[in-house]
Amino acid sequence: MAFLLRRLAFYLAAFFMAVTLNFFIPRMMPGDPSARIIASYQGRLNEAQVQAIREAYGVTGSLWEQYLSYFGSVLRLDFGISTVQFPEPTASLLFYGATWTLVLVGLSIFFAFVIGSVMGIHAAWHRGGFFDSFFTPINVMLNAFTPAIVALVLFYAFSLQLKWFPLGRAHDPSLMPGFDLQFIGSVLYHATLPVLSIFIVSFGGWHLGMRNVMINLLNEDFVILARAKGLSDRRVRYRYVARNAIMPQITALALSVGFLIGGALVTEQVFNYPGLGKFTFTAIQSRDYSFIQGQLLLLTMSVLVANLLSDIANVVLDPRLRKG
Amino acid sequence: MADLTHSTPLSLTDRLEQEALAASAPSQSELMRELGVKPRPGWTSRLPQGLAAFVTNPKGMAGVIILLALVLFSVLGPVVSEYNPNRRAGKPHVMPGYEHVLGTTRMGKDVFTQLAYGGRVSLAVGFGAGLAAAAIGLAIGISAGYFGGRIDDILTFFVNVVLVLPGLPLIIVIATMVEQASPLVIGVVLALTGWGWAARTIRTQTLSLRTREFVLSAELMGEKKWRIILVEIFPNMLSFVMGGFVLGTIAAILAEAALEFIGLGDPNAVTWGTMLFWAQNNLALQSGAWWEIWPPCIAIMLTGAALVLVNFAVDEITNPQLKASRRIGRIRKFLQRRGRSADVF
Repeated sequence: MAFLLRRLAFYLAAFFMAVTLNFFIPRMMPGDPSARIIASYQGRLNEAQVQAIREAYGVTGSLWEQYLSYFGSVLRLDFGISTVQFPEPTASLLFYGATWTLVLVGLSIFFAFVIGSVMGIHAAWHRGGFFDSFFTPINVMLNAFTPAIVALVLFYAFSLQLKWFPLGRAHDPSLMPGFDLQFIGSVLYHATLPVLSIFIVSFGGWHLGMRNVMINLLNEDFVILARAKGLSDRRVRYRYVARNAIMPQITALALSVGFLIGGALVTEQVFNYPGLGKFTFTAIQSRDYSFIQGQLLLLTMSVLVANLLSDIANVVLDPRLRKG
Repeated sequence: MADLTHSTPLSLTDRLEQEALAASAPSQSELMRELGVKPRPGWTSRLPQGLAAFVTNPKGMAGVIILLALVLFSVLGPVVSEYNPNRRAGKPHVMPGYEHVLGTTRMGKDVFTQLAYGGRVSLAVGFGAGLAAAAIGLAIGISAGYFGGRIDDILTFFVNVVLVLPGLPLIIVIATMVEQASPLVIGVVLALTGWGWAARTIRTQTLSLRTREFVLSAELMGEKKWRIILVEIFPNMLSFVMGGFVLGTIAAILAEAALEFIGLGDPNAVTWGTMLFWAQNNLALQSGAWWEIWPPCIAIMLTGAALVLVNFAVDEITNPQLKASRRIGRIRKFLQRRGRSADVF
């Protein structure tokens, strides 16, 4: 428990840092977002109206007051008002996009982690063999291809040339969202290529990580003892070595969530997928600051939650942590 | 369990079999040839140990050669080409041919020239940011590991925060605020956000080096702290710094391309990322102008792949078990051919 509490304290501190950064970065730049809105009315506003708009964007009062009120609104999951579609709150669009991004990232993390780890276990067990010397370098090189390029290649081949997959959207627009087979099928069909492109650039990392940790463990005494006892290969491989090797992998998995979300942002842009990335892209073009800041906070929160989950998983898998 | 201390006398057939095996045992040179061990180290033996390990690593050298070719291309390309990367050089979307080796963009700019000029900027930003990130990681990692105590607690906290904050979304926020980030700004931001991994591995390594005898004896001799760090600890850390640099460069080159691709970069700068941005914006794929989009794609992928190869070599130098694992397949086959048990670790 003490371990988890310590981690929780760290995540709260990290979240505090992210909010603080998010507060100060725009304020270090010249001008503030409300100035744009006010300027767009070209002097047709009176004093009270200007004041009201400035208050709505939280840029009145001393820096300290602004900071406190910003912190309060973040805790209420209120991400402020869009600076482009003026009276619209940012949160609704943010959560809509985040749902679809979650679908992409969740599916691709799952497949990449499982398939990459299994390949890594296999490569480490038969290290130096054909599988290891052929697939390990190739998988890791795929890992160094940026999601943007892989997405472009897949989009070109399967959506534009072969026309096997749709050109955009998260589901068939004629279907009503709901938990029926047809809708879920349509969602999966539309998600196939985006998920595949994130998968291609991420599974090599799990392969290499698992392989390298396993190779270090294979020479440990407990493994030699397990084999000397005459345990089956399978049992030694999965229960003894892989179980120990998977723990640093789970920690790395949580840390990589931020990176994968970054990949998803770019992928969505290529596939015209209505996730956070596509809305962030429109927000970048229209300079919708509150949306861009909101996406950072939301993504930071999800990365922190993922890290907390990985700590819990580590406690479950590693009895040593339960004592400490 | 058999009693190992009590040896039974061998039967005649057993003895004959053993003698036959001994007769068929390979000579040393045969063994070395079969296991792929080079008889004489040759000229590489005169190099410093770390460098020799790198030069004899086929993956690492392949990576270095590809990287050198890319650097050479971006340095010499603009000399060969007569066009200006920012000016119209011909009709829009000309197919690759004699006039334009890689065709022209929708704006009529020469793709080959842009690729070479873009390579200068993209590679410089990538290597620069990677180098800076490795340097920051080195400074923070060594200080945290060597000084320990309160300093370690505070620095480790910052390292963990940098690791946890999602990189690309944070960079998006900063880049939007500075409006059309130039390649230099992107490089600085990437360096400031990309040092987490290097700092963490270097701190762990420093912690284990700190208690070694040579550091202890330097401390007892009253050496100054900065001298111990620079002269005693740092040279043992080179391969980790190298690893941090390579990984940082990969991350920086990919992130720069991604940022510019989604339109956060300065669209007037010529880099591989902005080439992709323009190609995507001008619907190059949809209109069939594949030569506008694939050259920068291939250049970025080649750079990434080459750096991964270099990183393989660095990994094998820092962790000899990984290197040994390369030979194991050969040893296993060799044993199988001789009818021995292939059950080696």
